Amino acid sequence: MKRRDDEWVSLLVVTGATLLVAFGLIALVGSNLMVAASSFLRGIFGSSYAMSEVLVRATPLMLAALGVSIGFKTGFTNLGAEGQLYMGAIAITATALVFPGLPPIVMIPLVILVGFAAGGAWALIPGFLKARFSISEVIMTIMLNYVAINLVGILVRTSLKDPAYPYPMSPILPESANFMQMLPPTRIHAGLVMALLMVIAVHLLVFRSRLGFEMRAVGLNGRACLCSGIQVNRATILSAIAGGGLAGLAGVSEIAGLHHRLIEGISPGFGYVAIIVALLGKNHPVGIVFASIGIAALQIGSMAMQRTAGVPTSIASIVMGALILFLVIRDSRQSIAILEGV
Amino acid sequence: MEPIVVVTTFFAASIRMAIPLALAGLGESISEKSGLLNIGVEAIMLCGAFFSFMVVFSTGSFFLGILAGMLGGLSMSMLHAFLSIRFKANQTIVGLAQNFLALGLTSFLFLMSFGQTTTLPSTRVLGDLPIPLLSSIPFIGQVLFSQNLFVYLTLGCMVLAHICFYKTDFGVALHAVGEHPIAADTAGLQVHTIRYIAALFNGILGGLGGAYLTIVKLGFFQENITAGKGYIALVAVILGKRTPFGILGAALVIGGAEALQIRLQTAGTGIPSQLFAMFPYLMTIAALLLTIGSANDPAALGIPYDRDKR
Amino acid sequence: MPVLEMKDICKSFFGTYANRDVCLEVREGEIHALLGENGAGKTTLMNILYGMYQKDAGSITIDGHEIVFKSPKDAIARHIGMVHQHFTLVPTLTVQQNITLGLRDSGYPFSRERARCEHIDRLSDSYGLKTHSRTLVKKLSVGEMQRVEILKLLYRKAKILILDEPTAVLTPQESDHLFAMFKQLKAEGCSIIVITHHIQEVLDHCDRVTVLRDGCSISTVETKGIDAKQLSTMMIGRELVPVARERQNHHMDAPVLELVDFGFKRNGGKVGSVNLSLKQSEILGIAGVDGNGQKELLETLMGLRHHEKGKVVCCQQDISNASTAERRLAGIGYISDDRHRDSLVLDMGIAENLLLRPAQSTTTTQGRMVNKQCMLEQATRVVKEFSIKSHGLQEPMRFLSGGNQQKLVLAREFIGSPKVIIAFQPTRGLDIGATEFVHNQLLAMRSAGCATLLVSTNLEEILLLSDRIAVIHEGSIMATIENKAVDITRIGLLMAGVKTEGAAR
Repeated sequence: MKRRDDEWVSLLVVTGATLLVAFGLIALVGSNLMVAASSFLRGIFGSSYAMSEVLVRATPLMLAALGVSIGFKTGFTNLGAEGQLYMGAIAITATALVFPGLPPIVMIPLVILVGFAAGGAWALIPGFLKARFSISEVIMTIMLNYVAINLVGILVRTSLKDPAYPYPMSPILPESANFMQMLPPTRIHAGLVMALLMVIAVHLLVFRSRLGFEMRAVGLNGRACLCSGIQVNRATILSAIAGGGLAGLAGVSEIAGLHHRLIEGISPGFGYVAIIVALLGKNHPVGIVFASIGIAALQIGSMAMQRTAGVPTSIASIVMGALILFLVIRDSRQSIAILEGV
Repeated sequence: MEPIVVVTTFFAASIRMAIPLALAGLGESISEKSGLLNIGVEAIMLCGAFFSFMVVFSTGSFFLGILAGMLGGLSMSMLHAFLSIRFKANQTIVGLAQNFLALGLTSFLFLMSFGQTTTLPSTRVLGDLPIPLLSSIPFIGQVLFSQNLFVYLTLGCMVLAHICFYKTDFGVALHAVGEHPIAADTAGLQVHTIRYIAALFNGILGGLGGAYLTIVKLGFFQENITAGKGYIALVAVILGKRTPFGILGAALVIGGAEALQIRLQTAGTGIPSQLFAMFPYLMTIAALLLTIGSANDPAALGIPYDRDKR
Repeated sequence: MPVLEMKDICKSFFGTYANRDVCLEVREGEIHALLGENGAGKTTLMNILYGMYQKDAGSITIDGHEIVFKSPKDAIARHIGMVHQHFTLVPTLTVQQNITLGLRDSGYPFSRERARCEHIDRLSDSYGLKTHSRTLVKKLSVGEMQRVEILKLLYRKAKILILDEPTAVLTPQESDHLFAMFKQLKAEGCSIIVITHHIQEVLDHCDRVTVLRDGCSISTVETKGIDAKQLSTMMIGRELVPVARERQNHHMDAPVLELVDFGFKRNGGKVGSVNLSLKQSEILGIAGVDGNGQKELLETLMGLRHHEKGKVVCCQQDISNASTAERRLAGIGYISDDRHRDSLVLDMGIAENLLLRPAQSTTTTQGRMVNKQCMLEQATRVVKEFSIKSHGLQEPMRFLSGGNQQKLVLAREFIGSPKVIIAFQPTRGLDIGATEFVHNQLLAMRSAGCATLLVSTNLEEILLLSDRIAVIHEGSIMATIENKAVDITRIGLLMAGVKTEGAAR
């Protein structure tokens, strides 16, 4: 019981410290704290539309963060969700444009599958290289992000370009490839349902299945798994694929639910923020649900703060960075306390 | 243009592109040799770039600007070292969080100081400093000795680092701390102190690398000005196998790719510029593939040292 | 006056005492033994003296001055030196660099290699410690590494030398040489503290002995006028009951495990090669000094290293190129010498650690899912059968004692009733109770028909358990002998690589 209390206390301390940082920065800009805080909160809770926007933004974050967390479980430090997301987006666009006549009942599962496969394939590259040749996945995934982003840039100017407009973007996708709008006039779409289903799927995979057990064991002590006859490389590669696939679904969801066409910059760094979300959610599927909504709210709120109180939105990045650093300190203090307390 | 002029300017441009990578890479290699894996080079460079720009902008003094850049880099590398050593934190996560922090912080402070502007505030840049006599050697003089202060500084750092790594006791100590901290400790070395010193160098050199971008190359600052150069510096460290001249070589190769892509982009071929922009990244990937089977990471890289835990 | 006095030293780790009111007094020019079984707190005490650990209470006096060491650096300045059981040498540095690591001499900060090497060579000559100061440490044998460690102390002019289990990596003959050198040092006024759990060593070579048990110092006595039995009772607190080992009538079946011209790459690139065969209900012990290729042999045998050449046949099945999983499925169980690294996931509980085996061989998976109920039942059964003490099946292994951890490893390896057990130092770091348990379990498996390949650097363990004994030296088997009336001297010579039988006496 006592440990539970400590958990809450330390969480409060972390929250307090983070708020302090945020308030300090707001004061630095010379904005009125009360004005800034109220515009932040109104940006999130001010209307049902504002609240729905939080969920809209949480959707890709949740999917990508689930992907990142699966990688983290096996010790595959996947910093490439951004690129995998873009690959998913390319895949759905290309598929929907090549087969425009498919009925939704075929189209939707197809684009989901293709998007998953594209993201998974993109993550397979660093996954395979890590498993087979122990090449650092950290750098490889980041390099692949830049490649994927530039690839989108090329495609929307060449083979996927909408010939009707001079801008770098693809044509509007056939309607059969659109996710259902759940609660018009809000922009909440079926991607959110997909994300929540994936939460369950990931939970089952990680905590209930044999493969999930192997993944966790590999992440905690790969050497022991090797000695025990568990296929370490298989677990690593599969976790990379699954993780990349989920990030790819984030791309699918953004296109099918929101943009309906491929443009540059469909992701304002979702793939990177997803890493923060996964860490905040302690790599646990349920934790990730809350963390993704929380971070989405932070971003939406800070946008409102910029509009009305003149506080730059980059405060959100600062807060996220600081939050992770505080959590790192808390966790290490906690593990020391646990070891000494028993 | 005459072919020889093209070649000369290309090489000179490659060197200028390579400088920030080489400086930051050298710093990171010192850190990694001691066992501290800091993937927050991006954060170090960003802070270096931002603070040096701010100081040059407001005081006009390059000396103070360079100093500010070093301090900016230091703030990030020392924070990383402190969390890694004192709290035995996961070094990759700290580095990552710092990248967020620095990205947010620099653009926040920048917007705070200048507001949303249509024209970027800019300063004059550090000029070239041709070395008398040497600069008049054909080709080599143009490529090597008609450069700015940072180029000479980088070359000097490389030589110094080489001597330090392979000829001094500190180099041996650094190696020991990264390979086998327990052995280093029992031999009477202060493991944590040495790691802090390594982080110090990392901050200074990375900060200089960042400062180069703003006060030498561009003369202005904008959000995320490093655009992944910190990560590419990490690649240079791996390719160069943590040896000063190896890193310089790797930085030159990547810098060459960068110079080439800019040249091709501006050539106006009708091909989307993204294809060329992708080129340096594809090259680093290809180069990473070449390191297969020759990894030489320090044995204790990324692992916190704890006497009580053996 | 004693050169060193440690008084009422207390030290606890995570709430459990490692040292409680321990007293130790060492005189000038003596060889002082610190005797105790594994986990008695000998190494902790010496690490406190060497500045690696900070004491919780008590005082340390050297030459009459009370001192506080914050780190080994302070201890070295006070001319104290320590050779740890796991050598603390940087493999990628040269012998010279290791010896002079952290020292400041006239050329600082530049490394004056030639002068240092000459100094080291002079020193090594005068003590008969042959070394090449420019060789990389990773190229050295374990015995050579020990010489480098000792040279490190001598180079630093240590007056109090601490050696943790120095004879563990030596043949009996080499051990005699080592103690002869200690006598030379003693004559020069040095004090030597030897950590050991070998009673005979204490009686043969040491002047005085301090016995530690359960973290407390029991007493300090002169070795003259005390016998092995008395020391053993002091050390263990009770009389030792020898493990009963009944003779088995060997089945004359075809061998269960056969290694034919089996090659394996040793650290440093040399290739070792052995021929071995194991029958049902047989324990084949492989004796040898640590670092003679045992680890590489076993890891290659388990498919953890690249197969070089030759054949491995297990139950008529050629598994030479099989994966680790396939080898295990063929009926091989593996107990590694490093359970934390190779056998356990310390952050998982008992139940999940039992699942750590090839997926095909677990009974707890249904389809692709883990049957949680089945998993917990299995764990409950194992905990009862092996009397594992824990706070529940989900408690991370990290918090279990070494003995209980090892019991779980044994339990897991025995679950599928393997045909062959490969046991590598199965009692390493365990106290006497746990050691006895492991020995009895291995014998029980033997009675059940299991063939066991027991590899240990502890000769007593080999002699106690084995039906046959093979001696390994430099990656090859010197000889295989029936364990009836074995000649220890001969085994010692074989361990040192001397093959002629005439040289035995």
